Amino acid sequence: MSNPRKPEQSVTTTCAYCGVGCGFKAETISGKIVRMTPWKEGKANHGHSCVKGRFAFDYYNHADRVRKPLIRSSISDEWREVTWDEAFNYAASELKRIQLKYGKKSVGAVSSSRCTNEEIFLTQKFARAVLGNNNIDNCARICHSPTQFGLTSTVGWGAASQHFDSILQADVIVVVGANPTEGHPVFGSLMKRRIREGAKLIVIDPRKTETVTSAHCKADIHLAIRPGTNVAILDSIAHVVVKEELYNQQFIDQRCEVDEFHNWCALVSAERYAPEVIGPQCGVDPELIYAAARLYASGPNSAIYYGLGVTEHSQGSTGVMCLGNLALSCGMLGREGVGVNPLRGQGNVQGGSCLGSWPHVFSGYRFVSDKPTRDSFEHEWGVPLDPEPGLRLPNMFDAALAGTFKAMYIMGEDPVQSDPNQNHVIEAFKNMECVILHDLFLNETSKYAHIFLPGSSSLEKDGTFTNAERRVSRVRKVVEPIAGYQDWQIVLKLMNKMGYAVAYDNAGEVLDEIARLSPAYRGMSFDLIDKVGSVQWPCDENAPHGTEVLHREKFPRANGLGTFMLTEYVPTREKTSDRYPMLLTTGRILSQYNVGTQTRRTANQIWHPEDVLEINVEDATQRSISDGDFVTIKSKFGETELRAKISTRVNPGIVYTTFHHAKSKANAVTSDLSDWATNCPEYKVTAVDVIPKNITNLIYESIASHEKIDQLGN
Amino acid sequence: MSFQAHKDIVEDDVMSRDRIIEMIRQIEDFFKPYPENRRIEGMRNHLRTYWDPRMREQLIHMSEGGKYLFSPAIISTVNLLKDEQTKSSYYGPPKI
Repeated sequence: MSNPRKPEQSVTTTCAYCGVGCGFKAETISGKIVRMTPWKEGKANHGHSCVKGRFAFDYYNHADRVRKPLIRSSISDEWREVTWDEAFNYAASELKRIQLKYGKKSVGAVSSSRCTNEEIFLTQKFARAVLGNNNIDNCARICHSPTQFGLTSTVGWGAASQHFDSILQADVIVVVGANPTEGHPVFGSLMKRRIREGAKLIVIDPRKTETVTSAHCKADIHLAIRPGTNVAILDSIAHVVVKEELYNQQFIDQRCEVDEFHNWCALVSAERYAPEVIGPQCGVDPELIYAAARLYASGPNSAIYYGLGVTEHSQGSTGVMCLGNLALSCGMLGREGVGVNPLRGQGNVQGGSCLGSWPHVFSGYRFVSDKPTRDSFEHEWGVPLDPEPGLRLPNMFDAALAGTFKAMYIMGEDPVQSDPNQNHVIEAFKNMECVILHDLFLNETSKYAHIFLPGSSSLEKDGTFTNAERRVSRVRKVVEPIAGYQDWQIVLKLMNKMGYAVAYDNAGEVLDEIARLSPAYRGMSFDLIDKVGSVQWPCDENAPHGTEVLHREKFPRANGLGTFMLTEYVPTREKTSDRYPMLLTTGRILSQYNVGTQTRRTANQIWHPEDVLEINVEDATQRSISDGDFVTIKSKFGETELRAKISTRVNPGIVYTTFHHAKSKANAVTSDLSDWATNCPEYKVTAVDVIPKNITNLIYESIASHEKIDQLGN
Repeated sequence: MSFQAHKDIVEDDVMSRDRIIEMIRQIEDFFKPYPENRRIEGMRNHLRTYWDPRMREQLIHMSEGGKYLFSPAIISTVNLLKDEQTKSSYYGPPKI
């Protein structure tokens, strides 16, 4: 792209594409963005960037952007353009009507990790203070909710213990169910740099990912487990740590609940977790399990990085606890170069988690059932608040199917495309009387919406993002909002129309309120961030400029000690059978972002024009599938079609795809099983069969003709 | 379970009964390695912390009348849930 003219203006802001949260200088000519230049002072990226942040910004000005609010009384009607006032009035009157008819708890809200902290905070305030219930959730439900639960249970806070640069002190790097070179590329480069310097790499992943083998990246140990066996393999590693006494007794004595440590030892040292037993179950050589355990425990600095391959399972929370247990037992917490670190998917998943967009906790992970916490919010917000947890996103859909949930306000999400068991979600939406969708583009969910509020991209608003290392950075308005309002203003106006009087002059005032109500954010303000660049929480009087490494002296639990959870392996109920003999697992690639709403509308499209199904040559041959053939993927939940790609990255019995394109409908086949604790869907394991498209047609034709013959016979 | 599952709804239910059963069984599976009194307390705390009260009510309702064969642990949890409505939530291993 030639750029002969010198940009007139440059605004420093934060990329929204992944949990790395790179600092960028957005450069404009005549009010149009012409270039994104990585910011050298950015503490998350130090002047580096990837192909999404650097090039995929054109979507903001795309012709498909909705520029005026839309309404309709039924989803079978055409959309009608209306003024903002009309849209707000209609939304408010519908929400009030439905609450009057079906009860206060028949409505709810969902916020997005693509939105700013301020917007996420206001959305929970909208649900709790204005709708008067705790039916508020966010998209972390379907990705990292087990992180919040699993890490809080063991080490006290559901967040990365380290800053990204900490990896430069690591001697052993363990990557579990993540693919940083594709999913978190800028952090991936930092990891590769450390590997070039000699750090050892252990990867636990069913697929031979780019992190296992690519330029400057070779895993020393790759545990290519069968999908769904994370907890088994992690307990088996723990088994070796305990049996060979590789744990750090001094750390356990000083920093942990010793009784719980002993209980944990008793569980994992059981014979059923011996590598010789677990290895065959997971499809891994037992010797590799021994080697991984010894390498991790020997450090001296071992750091764990994990992604959705851990969380998106029926035992997702248990898997996260396993990682917490393991790090505590080997003393791999509380200093540079170690830790347990979730790699967050979207730009602001950590913020979404921190700021109370959960049905059971306010900002700062404090329970709605806790009276002193509730008192502080009631005092600030001036209304009584519900002391009981609300419905989680999947529960909202279940309740909608039962007819007890009737309206949803969705900020920047596309549940029809992104949530599991698509048919179930669509049925749920059809059962609702009012769906308010607030987004940039009409998407799959808008087909079932009654009100569409055109939002603003992160280039059009002010606020903050919290990245995967707890770093709070400024999002600054580069261009004017295309549809007229910044997203936080839209939520505010909706609150006002519902009769709740509150005013903020700017997003900074929302952050001030967050600081008053959330201990870890107490010292945060736009002023502070403008002054020092970015601030990692906790930020308070003890740490006025934030905290790089957590847990240095104690854990944020009541007694200050880390603790061990008992993590029995419970195999998923999703099992292969004669009918569905293969396991489908899902993931993503570098050039596209999530459901692709943004990146598909940029030139990045040329790198990944469609989702493909990776299949091992052995399985492909058995099924007469050639590279590039269209295949049908069927599960008991549904079916879809994709182009097959013969790949050595997946083992026999496993197929893999991405979900960046709506037309590939990957979630038509995914299972609706979910994590036992958080209901995070089990995206990573679905039993399927793969049939070449031409054969499928033959089968269907033959069934059809048989039916015809039957009918004739009758 | 497919989207057909919502057909097993009884009046006053907030969601499908199959879904409630599936969730409570998964929770029971997690707490199995704990000794009995801690197991039940862990399950109680989990339901009190994460379940909408209408879901808890539905479970209590379903446990009465003998239509569903719940395990002793689930029955004990339901009883504890009824007795200790006000006990506050916490993170971490079950506390007795």
